Amino acid sequence: MNYMPKPKSTALTRRAMLKTGAAALAMPALLHHTRAYAQSPTIKIGHVSPRTGPLAGFAEADDYVLEGIRAAFAGGIENNGRRFEVEIISRDSQSNPNRAAEVAADLILGDEVDIIVAASTPDTTNPVADQAEINEVPCITTDCPWQPYFFGRNGNPTQPFKYTYHFFWGLEDVIAAFLDLWSQQGVAKVVGGLFPNDADGNAWGDPELGFPPALEANGFDLVDLGRYQPLSDDFSSHISAFRDAGCEIVTGNMIPPDFGTFWAQSAQQGFKPKIVSIGKALLFPSAIESLGSRGNGLTSEIWWTPDHPFGSSLTGQSARELAEGYTAATGRPWTQPIGFKHALFEVVNNVLTRAADLDDTDSILEAIRQTRMPSMVGPVDWSTGPVANVSKTPLVAGQWQQDAAGKFTLVVTSNATAPDIPVTGELMLLG
Amino acid sequence: MIRASEISIVQSSRAAWIAGLVGLLLLLALLAAPYWAGRADMRLLSEIYLYLALACLWNILAGYAGLVSVGQHAYVGLGGYMLFALAMFGGINPLVAIPLAGLIGGVASMLVAVLIFRLSGAYFAIGTWVVAETFRLSFAQVSALGGGSGTSLPAGIVTAIGDGRDGREAIIYWGSLGIAVLVLAAIFLLLRSRQGPALKAIRDNELAARSLGIDIWRSKFIIYVGASTLTAMVGAAIFLQKLRISPDAAFSVNDWTAFVIFIVVIGGIGTLEGPIIGTIVFFLLRETLADLGPSYQLILGLVAIVVMLRAPQGLWGFVRSHYRIELFPLTPRAIDSQSKKDI
Repeated sequence: MNYMPKPKSTALTRRAMLKTGAAALAMPALLHHTRAYAQSPTIKIGHVSPRTGPLAGFAEADDYVLEGIRAAFAGGIENNGRRFEVEIISRDSQSNPNRAAEVAADLILGDEVDIIVAASTPDTTNPVADQAEINEVPCITTDCPWQPYFFGRNGNPTQPFKYTYHFFWGLEDVIAAFLDLWSQQGVAKVVGGLFPNDADGNAWGDPELGFPPALEANGFDLVDLGRYQPLSDDFSSHISAFRDAGCEIVTGNMIPPDFGTFWAQSAQQGFKPKIVSIGKALLFPSAIESLGSRGNGLTSEIWWTPDHPFGSSLTGQSARELAEGYTAATGRPWTQPIGFKHALFEVVNNVLTRAADLDDTDSILEAIRQTRMPSMVGPVDWSTGPVANVSKTPLVAGQWQQDAAGKFTLVVTSNATAPDIPVTGELMLLG
Repeated sequence: MIRASEISIVQSSRAAWIAGLVGLLLLLALLAAPYWAGRADMRLLSEIYLYLALACLWNILAGYAGLVSVGQHAYVGLGGYMLFALAMFGGINPLVAIPLAGLIGGVASMLVAVLIFRLSGAYFAIGTWVVAETFRLSFAQVSALGGGSGTSLPAGIVTAIGDGRDGREAIIYWGSLGIAVLVLAAIFLLLRSRQGPALKAIRDNELAARSLGIDIWRSKFIIYVGASTLTAMVGAAIFLQKLRISPDAAFSVNDWTAFVIFIVVIGGIGTLEGPIIGTIVFFLLRETLADLGPSYQLILGLVAIVVMLRAPQGLWGFVRSHYRIELFPLTPRAIDSQSKKDI
């Protein structure tokens, strides 16, 4: 008697089942839509942020900012005379674009958020915005220059995105701010460029939209050795090329470890530029402090400081009150993303109170497009943007200066691009 | 005294028959998921299927063919990039592009195999990692695909997949399920074929297998190319869901190799059941603990250490050694022809 089954039977049945599945594909899928707040009116806001991983510095103030926002939302918001509870669901992207896409999809599909927000570099804003666009949920993002956000997602200015909106400054602003900074002290107009092969570096070094054409138009010579791979451990070829060309200015967009390497090797190899203006690497006090006295005098773009003449439309706090509140709560120095993270929820609040019908996505989108409000980081207004999905906020430039006690302060030294923002110090050249 | 004529060799068992039946019913239920599950559940299930496929493929490489590759993310990323390239520049429907991406991955893996099969043991493992890094750095130079910045799949390409949002999501779901079933079926049939015992012989002792007349290089080559082809297909399906690709995301050693090895090791390497158990455990941990931040990674590490110390053969190996059951009938047993009892 043969006790053995035909070995392939199970597998063949599985395959047959798959064919049945393919046939079922022809049937239209059933629609089930349940709006969570149809019974109890609650608006859900999804929030994606890099709480852990290499980008965690951008999100270090999340707890403080969200606590303030949740307190402001405690009584709910009012829309057309109706009161809605507000729930903020915050998820960690782990600084990983794959994970950012996954948690965004989970917030949209699982938690069924009514609006999704995200901040901090293209690795967070872009995957979240892509998920929102395809899943048809309104999305507001910030804290990433608008070119990597818009063009990095294959955006087309004549056919803008429908669901995704962004506010921040752009490359043209950082170029103008740096040019103003460099022209103050009469240094030689020879610039060394350090642009990595990543989303920000490619945008900054772009031959059409980035630094190269702007510098040429303003009479600067740029020494650009091409895109280097992030996390390089050797910048000798850059340093010798800069020194040979007589560069007195160095600029670029770097991650902090790369800048640390470049700056240490410059000292070892005797390269002494007079001005070093680097994006991204010099944002955080912790990054500057790790450089010791070599951090003194480095210059950077400035998106927000406690001296910015802006306040919150949600809590009434001034920029200084928000920043000092963070220091009081945590004992840590303020950072620039604090203002933008707060502003992100200000914009959401403003949109949700104005929308004609909160049950209707199109009406929320219409409210976003009609936004015209003052915020913690300056006016937000999508009707004036360079493209329909972008609203620009003011940008200035300034310098990290160390006082006698060794404490670093970020002072605004150049405000030609945004005269409303007061200058708080004078540029010193590097020794 | 038992004579040879009284002995039969069988692979099946009552447990395997029951498991097959339950598996079939489960598959039917999962096929119908678009009619009963929510959108988030379907997306999570799709992700589970694709991780299951990756784990099974890594298991066949490392657990059966002795090819301990820590660079299979090379093919995940290659598949993902090929999907984007075929869909964006070739105008090919993403559903057609997925198998094509698999074929391209297969051709690439043949060339890679010729190179890295000169290495063995730890050198082979490091070699595969180097290959994956080379892939990552190469794609970072391709500016048409966004270079180091990455690029997004235009919304129009994705919406063209199916009629409306629900139709599209159902098709992507069925596609992911189909890939997982294809991978499981392919591995099951392979292990039931003549190649199965050969692979197990290689797994247990390469030298002994060679002396039995097994062409080791050829067996390994077939497994490596087959597994890499399917891995590239899985990669294409993964990035169809992610919508955005960049070199760091596509060739992420954490997401596509470390987690996969974790799944196989805690589930039970060298068994077909192991990766299934491991995938379930991994997703249970992730869905409950992922928001703990760094502690989540610590817990994963702790789980891996405890399993390796307490059950070096993985959770399934632990179960099997205690209860002698097998859900996929793959181990030959000798039974008495008359009484049908194990000898």
